Amino acid sequence: MGQSFHEDCLDLARRALSRGGVDRRGALRALAAMGLVAAGDAVTQGAQAQGARELVIVNWGGVANEGFARHYGAPFEAANPGLKVVQNSTGPSAGRIKSMVESGSVTWDLCDSSASSSRVLGKGNLVQRIDYGVVKKSDAIDEAFTLEYGAAPYSFSSVLAYDSSKFPNGPPQSWADFWDQRRFPGTRLLRRDALAVMDAAQMALGKDPARLYPLDARACLAKLREIRRNAVFWTNGSESEQFLRTGEAVMGQIWHTRAKVLEQETNGRIKFTWNQGLLQAGIFVIPRGAPGGAATQRLLASMLANPEPQVELLKFMGNGPTNPRAAALVPAEFRRFNPTDPENARQQVILDGNWWGDHYTELNADVVDVITG
Amino acid sequence: MRPAGRHALGWWGLILPAFLLMTAFYVAPILQVLAISFTEPQPGLGNYERLLTSESVQRVIGTTLRIGVVTTAIALLLGYALAYRIALSGPRAQRWWLLAVLVPLWISVLVRAFAWVTLLRRQGLVNQGLMAAGAIEQPLALVWNEFGIVVGMVHYMVPYAVLPMLSAMREIDPRVLAAARGLGAGRAGAFLRVFLPLSLPGVIAAGVLVFIFSLGFYITPAILGGGKTLMAAEWIKLQILDLIRWGLGAMLATVLVVAILATLAVFSRLVNLRRLFGAGG
Repeated sequence: MGQSFHEDCLDLARRALSRGGVDRRGALRALAAMGLVAAGDAVTQGAQAQGARELVIVNWGGVANEGFARHYGAPFEAANPGLKVVQNSTGPSAGRIKSMVESGSVTWDLCDSSASSSRVLGKGNLVQRIDYGVVKKSDAIDEAFTLEYGAAPYSFSSVLAYDSSKFPNGPPQSWADFWDQRRFPGTRLLRRDALAVMDAAQMALGKDPARLYPLDARACLAKLREIRRNAVFWTNGSESEQFLRTGEAVMGQIWHTRAKVLEQETNGRIKFTWNQGLLQAGIFVIPRGAPGGAATQRLLASMLANPEPQVELLKFMGNGPTNPRAAALVPAEFRRFNPTDPENARQQVILDGNWWGDHYTELNADVVDVITG
Repeated sequence: MRPAGRHALGWWGLILPAFLLMTAFYVAPILQVLAISFTEPQPGLGNYERLLTSESVQRVIGTTLRIGVVTTAIALLLGYALAYRIALSGPRAQRWWLLAVLVPLWISVLVRAFAWVTLLRRQGLVNQGLMAAGAIEQPLALVWNEFGIVVGMVHYMVPYAVLPMLSAMREIDPRVLAAARGLGAGRAGAFLRVFLPLSLPGVIAAGVLVFIFSLGFYITPAILGGGKTLMAAEWIKLQILDLIRWGLGAMLATVLVVAILATLAVFSRLVNLRRLFGAGG
């Protein structure tokens, strides 16, 4: 599994900031929209000292501590007097949430998790059900973003990116092409992880993308075994970018945020297609026993309900909005890179978080075995 | 109590704080972690059973041993040649040689791994040089495989091979070699029958040191292996952090610790490791 998508976003943001590609305000606004900016301990303690009721969002580390309150907390706080939103950048892995809930002293309210983790945690009675009386299902473009145990204010995708200079007679356009080593020779690049890789293998096997689940695990693993010798595997986003940029791999399945950077920085030498990309939900979960109570559900609801900060996030690092009104607000030059733009979403397959929640742990071990076998 | 005994007790008292600190903050937590291998997911020896039944556990052990042995052999060979050259040169030259051997030790292992990537990749210096010279048509697969890992690890290990061997060679009296020549041995004969046997304890010590280090390599194989070659350290990390199979990860960690202690125990009977690693007397 290695680095998660959230951690990679921070990595990209840090780089964009240091190059001056994005101004600081924009960066902070976008990170805050994603719940990624940490306010740090000082702010946490300050809030406690003032005695305000506070909600804690747990993220994966932040580039700027002061940004959260100004750009994300303030709107919610203005609409909800007496409530304060603070950030904590511990990185809420499923394991950490589990140990916190089991210890009986829960201090986290809203955690940036994933669809499959939310399912695992939910089945273990470690996170709360989302109250869809408060959070509006109509605030998300698809049911996949409003799950039983979590809801997603952002989206991302695992897409097929390729080096167009290596394919003068037409590039690969589908996972079947990706597996076709005779028509498209060259080293492949995949994430060392079961998620999205197995789904691509299933499509390469010819299954109808519209009825992809349940995956045939045995067949997918065999399919993966076919190309492992002619493939390299990445564990974090910057690695995936380097493999393609330096020509070590001629095509790969990478996060769309990295594909966008590659397409822009190589002046189109490296391109990507939305076709058969695996669209995924950036799911937030509420640990069982979270101190914020009902207010936490309202905070999550506001994150899904406001399209503007979601668009800021897209402009900054490419994370897709999930609000149905957001796509229309996206400036024309960013539409090509928006995973949930209707034109792009149509071509992708929504990854089934529930199916993966039931099978991830076991299948990921199998996938690692095949790759390193 | 004899005065000498009380004296010794005082010295032991001086290291007592360090001993307690080590026990409380190092030994005890490690034992606690290793104990997980017997308690998770169920109490018992289930995790150790995997040593015999799981193909993936056996493969990671096989890969680790194979890469460890190959790395040790190459590092010893290169290190011996270097140590021999250094031992036979004058004192001024020796200092420069030693500096050249030690400088790589001060460069971060991460930087060195990435430097090898730059050299060995498809569009790297080595492949481009060979292609420009017309020696090859297609780039060679020099990295993202076990070859790349061994190159990176040998580079890291050569200084560790040189130092114990050099200290053993320095103790060889040069007059012994002169005597051998005087008694009619050729250069090769004097080396093979006099110098080599006398330097053998150093070779064994270097071998043990390099092999033990090789078993625990993490960064070099992770970067140069292209994600496809798993050695023990990365496998343990994967079990603990990503697959949440703590018992299994702790099991291999325990096996690694026991294997290293056993290796040390066996070889400390053969050669005086303490002296060769610089503990004096």
